[in-house]
Amino acid sequence: MPKMLLYILLIGLIALLIPPALIATERSTVKKKPRVHLVQDMDNQHRYKAQQANEFFEDGRAMRPPVEGTVARNKLNDDAHFIKGLVGDEWATTFPGQIDVTVDLIHRGQNRFNIYCLPCHGEAGFGDGIIHQRAFKLVTAGVNGTTWVQPKSLHEKAIREQPIGQTFNTITNGVRTMAGYGDQVPVGDRWAIVAYVKALQRSQFAQDSDLPAGTNRSELQFEKLPEQETPDETTDDATNPQDEAEQS
Amino acid sequence: MGRYHYVFPRWTNLLLPGAIFMAMVAPLYVVYVVAYGFSPMTTDVGYAPDQVIEYSHKLHAGELGIDCRYCHNTVEYSAKASIPPTQTCMNCHTQIHKDSPKLEALRQSYEKGTPVTWTRVHDLPGYAYFNHSAHVNRGVSCVSCHGRVDRMDVVQQMQPLSMGWCLDCHRNPTENLRDPSEVTNLGWSFKGTEQELVDYHDFWQDHNNINPSQDCSTCHR
Repeated sequence: MPKMLLYILLIGLIALLIPPALIATERSTVKKKPRVHLVQDMDNQHRYKAQQANEFFEDGRAMRPPVEGTVARNKLNDDAHFIKGLVGDEWATTFPGQIDVTVDLIHRGQNRFNIYCLPCHGEAGFGDGIIHQRAFKLVTAGVNGTTWVQPKSLHEKAIREQPIGQTFNTITNGVRTMAGYGDQVPVGDRWAIVAYVKALQRSQFAQDSDLPAGTNRSELQFEKLPEQETPDETTDDATNPQDEAEQS
Repeated sequence: MGRYHYVFPRWTNLLLPGAIFMAMVAPLYVVYVVAYGFSPMTTDVGYAPDQVIEYSHKLHAGELGIDCRYCHNTVEYSAKASIPPTQTCMNCHTQIHKDSPKLEALRQSYEKGTPVTWTRVHDLPGYAYFNHSAHVNRGVSCVSCHGRVDRMDVVQQMQPLSMGWCLDCHRNPTENLRDPSEVTNLGWSFKGTEQELVDYHDFWQDHNNINPSQDCSTCHR
């Protein structure tokens, strides 16, 4: 075989290795550039998907917000008790008729609380969530103009004693530096969170009267908590132990 | 040379078997390059575009442990998990890192009421209709399709999101099922023996009556 032909053949064979090598590289790297689909079929159609951009509108959204002053079908809700926590001009002190207060509702509330409230208020509601801890560090270090007010402990007297309609309103519209969660959490779930917050507050502020009739309190404590100091420490965790002492 | 000048040299005897061999191998090569090269494992997996805001899931979902649903709050009710509105970011960032230059685009959006122009990472073809709520509420975890987002500084596509890949699970969903209350716990793993794990998967399949459809119209309509 002439040497020339042999070289051409060899170069050709080596060239055949290039595409698999390129493909293998492509597979193992992180890609910043848009995906290339050579065969488009109907992958990208002439319609807008949810949250896609559309330059036709001034704000660039393809999805249109409802026109001001309009209500979507079946979305009219003028029940102030249910959607605002108001009865007349007063905060509601009872749950609205649409809400059945059951153990399931409280469990649902716990689940939602742990998603939306726990980051700031903490799992037990003392205002010591992980966001608070991080923000506090950032304020101390003076990073990027961070400001921070510690989230309220849900066991403070003022919060413990507020009407549930007001708690519902705080969740919906926010208060002080807390943002409102009315758009993020559906109305039924907000009432469920209210129910759970009530349960949480009671758990940290149990009364003798909460015990089943005929229970001897000192015996109960002795059985459950043999070390005498433990009960004192738990009350110290509450933000206003003196308030609670006065109450009991 | 002389009179033998026009006689084919001996090596030309290899041309015919060589050509037959090439004719057999060449189609295999082409099929291999096309199948391997055009597969979504090559074209789509590993897609991690830069975003206008260097948002880190690793920090927010991983280190701070914020539940996926804090931001993607429609995932349980709707087909779309939804990119959160600017307001959701501003729940915290009106205070935390409020002067950070990295959040400039966010502040612009908040002041002008225009959306942040995020680049979509996971994009199905226009003829495929995926419903997040149908999966999440039945115990298919986010991690099954999106990977460990809580460990990603930049979100990256981890799975091919191809029809064959969808069908793999629709034909045999058992191993991707878990207690629906653990779906957003990306680091969750089953603790117990292998047999208990099998029973666990079977329990949730029975409990939620999971029998995924493979009809065309389930996803294409």
